[in-house]
Amino acid sequence: MASSSSLSLSSPHFPSSSGLRSRSQRDPAEAVVSIQARKWWPGRSGSAAAVAAAVRKRYKGTAMREKKLAEMIEKKVEEAKAACEGEERRGSDGCKVAWDEVEEVSQAMARLRRRLAESDRDPLDAFCQENPETDECRVYDE
Amino acid sequence: MAVCTVYTTPSLHSPCSVSNPTKTSFGFNQRQQVIFYTSGRGSRRRGGKKISEALYCSAEAKTVVIGLAADSGCGKSTFMRRLTSVFGGAAEPPKGGNPDSNTLISDTTTVICLDDYHSLDRTGRKEKGVTALDPRANNFDLMYEQVKALKEGVAVDKPIYNHVTGLLDPPELIQPPKILVIEGLHPMFDPRVRDLLDFSIYLDISNEVKFAWKIQRDMAERGHSLESIKASIEARKPDFDAYIDPQKQYADAVIEVLPTQLIPDDNEGKVLRVRLIMKEGSKYFSPVYLFDEGSTISWIPCGRKLTCSYPGIKFFYGPDTYFSHEVSVLEMDGQFDRLDELIYVESHLSNISTKFYGEVTQQLLKHADFPGSNNGTGLFQTIVGLKIRDLYEQIVAEKAAAPTEATKV
Repeated sequence: MASSSSLSLSSPHFPSSSGLRSRSQRDPAEAVVSIQARKWWPGRSGSAAAVAAAVRKRYKGTAMREKKLAEMIEKKVEEAKAACEGEERRGSDGCKVAWDEVEEVSQAMARLRRRLAESDRDPLDAFCQENPETDECRVYDE
Repeated sequence: MAVCTVYTTPSLHSPCSVSNPTKTSFGFNQRQQVIFYTSGRGSRRRGGKKISEALYCSAEAKTVVIGLAADSGCGKSTFMRRLTSVFGGAAEPPKGGNPDSNTLISDTTTVICLDDYHSLDRTGRKEKGVTALDPRANNFDLMYEQVKALKEGVAVDKPIYNHVTGLLDPPELIQPPKILVIEGLHPMFDPRVRDLLDFSIYLDISNEVKFAWKIQRDMAERGHSLESIKASIEARKPDFDAYIDPQKQYADAVIEVLPTQLIPDDNEGKVLRVRLIMKEGSKYFSPVYLFDEGSTISWIPCGRKLTCSYPGIKFFYGPDTYFSHEVSVLEMDGQFDRLDELIYVESHLSNISTKFYGEVTQQLLKHADFPGSNNGTGLFQTIVGLKIRDLYEQIVAEKAAAPTEATKV
């Protein structure tokens, strides 16, 4: 890969390596590094490659949370619609609690998305530095 | 028995110097330390002037408590990020503990999410048929006890409400910070907690804007649609109106977010009209004003000196009554397009508690990617942050200037 300047952001000729996201397309050097780093599960430190990968790896725990929240949103919207179906149920306690649950998980999802978007570090970064052996801290291969 | 004689230049960045090795912990209650600094150390920051600083004299290391009422969930809300940025540093979740903790900690500030005081977890609320908005789902006794303890300089084991699992997790230890922010749905609901607050803010989002924001937030999620978003807002509205909304009468500052009046029939919610309603007569809080305090001003900054693009910017300032107390209202409708608009507006505002000319602009630019950075929400959130900083420094200065009180242990 040509390690030309990263100004070639929108170059259509950029090789897209094995499903890496557009971020790596901006900087060819980074793209190389993160391919190599995938061999370094579960994220042992000790080389520049692993360190660079450590900046951007995703932990299983974060992926699990994202998946779980997405499923909960879908499920709870359905439950809420059912809980408010019909004359007696509309406006009932069950109905408003169900929509409150939808709001709760929607907020939690929005918060997770914001944390993922605004930082290169995974939200579980600090936790996984202290607890690298847990299942949650396995590096997630997307 | 500690004696503290002090002259202080109180600052959020005063290092807490202690004679034992635990100097990194700001919040420790140094009951028997007498720390007296003279000149030299402090002069660096004050351009060479000889200033004496004395810090943390015994039990009077006071924590300033701020309440923020908002319905947007906790943790890294934009307001919180702006606030902690004004004080310096970024607030991060506590390292190493429960990864689902809602708490944020920076050098000077700890932000606690009041959802942690839920007495009922998700299952419990479903069984009892109460929403999270309902006071019956919250343990106000514990909230009061712990906020009081932190305010007095005592660390607490605070429960954690896990928003992913919907369960109450084992507690985390919270050290008393310089500034404690309690954020959530009910910071001003319980009168005892209300009395502990040194300053309180209520974020009052109108229904149309709430709807537009929730659409932006949720539309891309599988399962959501315009109908589900609307239904969720409507189903929660009765409890919201009964339990959350009435708190705004107690707030020192209300930030009201409304649809713009500059664009007829605008329903995108992108251009906003934001009103900063400030209580008069608060000891440490002097309301922001335009041109002439107490008068009524209508101001369109765009004109010969400043060109703005559509739809422009419109300001209003004036006295009013809000829930039968005296307030001053500063209102901005429209958006900033360019840096020079920002600085121009800033130069015409008074009582904004900046430490240097252009500080508001600088703060807004620093976080230009935050939502609301180009309109009244960002502007007023930043200004409120500066007012809180000013309030903190006043309180600390007052405490330090009362040495006889400091001898009480």
